[in-house]
Amino acid sequence: MPKRILAVDDSLSMRMLLRASLTSAGYDVAEAEDGRAALEWLENNEPTLVITDINMPRLDGFGLIAELRAQERFRDMPILVLTTESSPEKKARARDAGATGWIVKPFDPEKLTVAVRRVMH
Amino acid sequence: MSPDDIQSIFFQECEEGLASAETALLAIKAGEHDGETINTIFRAVHSIKGGAGAFGFHPLQSFTHLFETLLDKVRDGELSLDPPLVELLMGAFDVLADHVTAIRGEGEQPDDAVMKRALRDALSAAPASAPGLASQELGLSFDIDAMMAELTVRSDIPAQDWRVTFMPAAGDLAHGGEPLLLLRELAALGGQVVSADPDRVPTLDAFDPDAAYMGWTLRLPATAERATIEEVFDFVSDPGSVTIERTQFDDAMRSAREVILQSRPVAPLATPAAEPPVAQAPLAAKQPKVAVGATIRVDLDKLDRLVDLVGELVITQSMLSQRLASNGLAAVEELADLDQLTRELQDSAMAIRAQPVKSVFSRVPRIVRELEASTGKRVQIEVEGEATELDKTVIERIGEPLTHLVRNCVDHGIELPAQRLAKGKPAEGLLRLSAEHKGSRIVISVSDDGAGIDRERVLAIATDRGIVAADARLSDEEIEQLIFAPGFSTAREVSNISGRGVGMDVVRQNVQALGGRITIQSRPGEGSSFALALPLTLAIVDGMVVSVGDQTYIIPLTHIVESLRPDRDQVQSTGLGNRVLNVRGAFLPVLGIGDQLGLTGAVSEPSEAVLIVVETESAGSAILMVDAIIDQRQVVIKSLETHYQQVEGVAGATILGDGRVALILDVEGLVDLRAPVPLRCAS
Repeated sequence: MPKRILAVDDSLSMRMLLRASLTSAGYDVAEAEDGRAALEWLENNEPTLVITDINMPRLDGFGLIAELRAQERFRDMPILVLTTESSPEKKARARDAGATGWIVKPFDPEKLTVAVRRVMH
Repeated sequence: MSPDDIQSIFFQECEEGLASAETALLAIKAGEHDGETINTIFRAVHSIKGGAGAFGFHPLQSFTHLFETLLDKVRDGELSLDPPLVELLMGAFDVLADHVTAIRGEGEQPDDAVMKRALRDALSAAPASAPGLASQELGLSFDIDAMMAELTVRSDIPAQDWRVTFMPAAGDLAHGGEPLLLLRELAALGGQVVSADPDRVPTLDAFDPDAAYMGWTLRLPATAERATIEEVFDFVSDPGSVTIERTQFDDAMRSAREVILQSRPVAPLATPAAEPPVAQAPLAAKQPKVAVGATIRVDLDKLDRLVDLVGELVITQSMLSQRLASNGLAAVEELADLDQLTRELQDSAMAIRAQPVKSVFSRVPRIVRELEASTGKRVQIEVEGEATELDKTVIERIGEPLTHLVRNCVDHGIELPAQRLAKGKPAEGLLRLSAEHKGSRIVISVSDDGAGIDRERVLAIATDRGIVAADARLSDEEIEQLIFAPGFSTAREVSNISGRGVGMDVVRQNVQALGGRITIQSRPGEGSSFALALPLTLAIVDGMVVSVGDQTYIIPLTHIVESLRPDRDQVQSTGLGNRVLNVRGAFLPVLGIGDQLGLTGAVSEPSEAVLIVVETESAGSAILMVDAIIDQRQVVIKSLETHYQQVEGVAGATILGDGRVALILDVEGLVDLRAPVPLRCAS
């Protein structure tokens, strides 16, 4: 059974890119278009990893992470945030929010898998 | 899904992003905004930037980066939204829109140097001006190829190499962090653990399974680059927990303590929290795979094919029921069900193609803004019913007429601010767009509160150009209709606004080609309103099935006013075979369809025929004479042009239930075929 990754981004093309890269790396990919949709999906599913964008309508990435970290079953689940910023402040903010790591957009598919392996068994 | 497909989705998202950003910008300009408004723009620009980077549109990426940074400052309240800044955002938006047009291959790459400088200037006005702009841009061009090349190098380890120590901070196991995975990644770079340092591991009673205690010293080949090794520790919270230095391992150490890490986690002692129960997720894996998104995108060709097939199905179903009926099986219950299902299927297929008119309306603000800039007029836009849906083909084809109407309203209708104030109107003119369903049609109207149509001038010009006779007496409505006459243009000089080589006559032609109608209502000094009545779809039409001679024709219901069976003496001859009928005081020409289309065998005596009163856009009302009315039904339109050629007076064809082909009449064209035109008749 392949490991499953939930990709959360309000941009369909970004989700497509994530799906294409992760699927070819052998992962199973589910998608959600914003934090709220992700939470709904997570009610009944438990992926190995969540990759989320920050800026999204309804519930943004930081909000999503906060909600997840507040739940026991997601306390230790790896979460990567997609960010267009590589500045130390932005990274610190992501980590303080409870993210395990980040992927700087635009990402190379291989770099993406490297980052995924860095946080996922 | 190929990269090109994803790219084309990205283009669509760009357009959607631009539209929502524009709406938000206009709200800001109008002073109706909250925190979410600027957020909407930020998100749109941010998404475009992300995609631009992913697809390698570097000029767009670099521009959106600046734009986004500025928006971020606005969002954080570091910059206040004063009028100059709003103007700057609007300007930046226009450049962004041009960039998007350029990447779609539909325009030139815009010269954004001036705008970029303006954005940087505005940024430098922010209290904490972005120090890392340059470095962030550098950060985006990370050389992944070099890094991947490194991964393959792991053979002979030279004496000179890297010594890496890693003492994870206690919190590094939180939030799914797993130091062992980093060791694995270093192993992939050719790293070997030289020593494990258990000194920090406490006694069992003080042991916190969520804390990290172990430390490691590793050796990596000199061929690995420092940046590559640092990258592995990217997610580590405390940079001080990692040291990377060049060193010289002695041979004894090498032989004694080499432990090669393979892809399996090591030393269970060191990993009490290494396998949090969550990560195994056995239950989750059994769940069916569900995508959360509630929409999918489908290639338009596939949809067209579906609609086509459903059309064929409707025809076949109708043929089947006719065949069964002729064999006395009309009462078969399943047949009624099939009929119902086919109808529903057809409606659903049509609904898939429906799109909100918003996509057309959303272009208007930008056009108006350009017009404001070039004319000095001020215009406020009001939109209603933008969620109203109609067929995609119709949507695509009303863009141009609508644009022209908008230009016309602003250019000719709305007055300059000074003139408006002098008339006691607010300086800012009002342009109103609305869309609503009316029966099987959708009515889109464009109205303004400007000067209205100057009838005297319209009449003078029309007379001057020979469009109407000098002594013609026309009603107000008839005069207004003159602006649709070919060759009519009221612009004193050809402005490059409305005068783009198309007049209102072309607008009307376009609307008619869609099976629509355009009407004007105008009040001097109060404004004008143009209404476009459009069919919901171009694929089916409600029609009356009539017979003429041995032929069957379809008359679109939209044109039909009523049908009559006149007495012999009600129809009067006006000579040359022309006949008119007095319908409640108006004398309408009676046209034999047989005569018009060169058919023989049609009923030629009006009192023995059925007269159908039709109204047209360009040629007024008339009466079509047919032999009999057979039925009224929805028919699927098949283009005659694609299969044969255009025929005057015929709009298309359809296949009837009995398998015969029936032509769909082009009532506009048919009535127009005959001369003279009704306006001159009326005079």
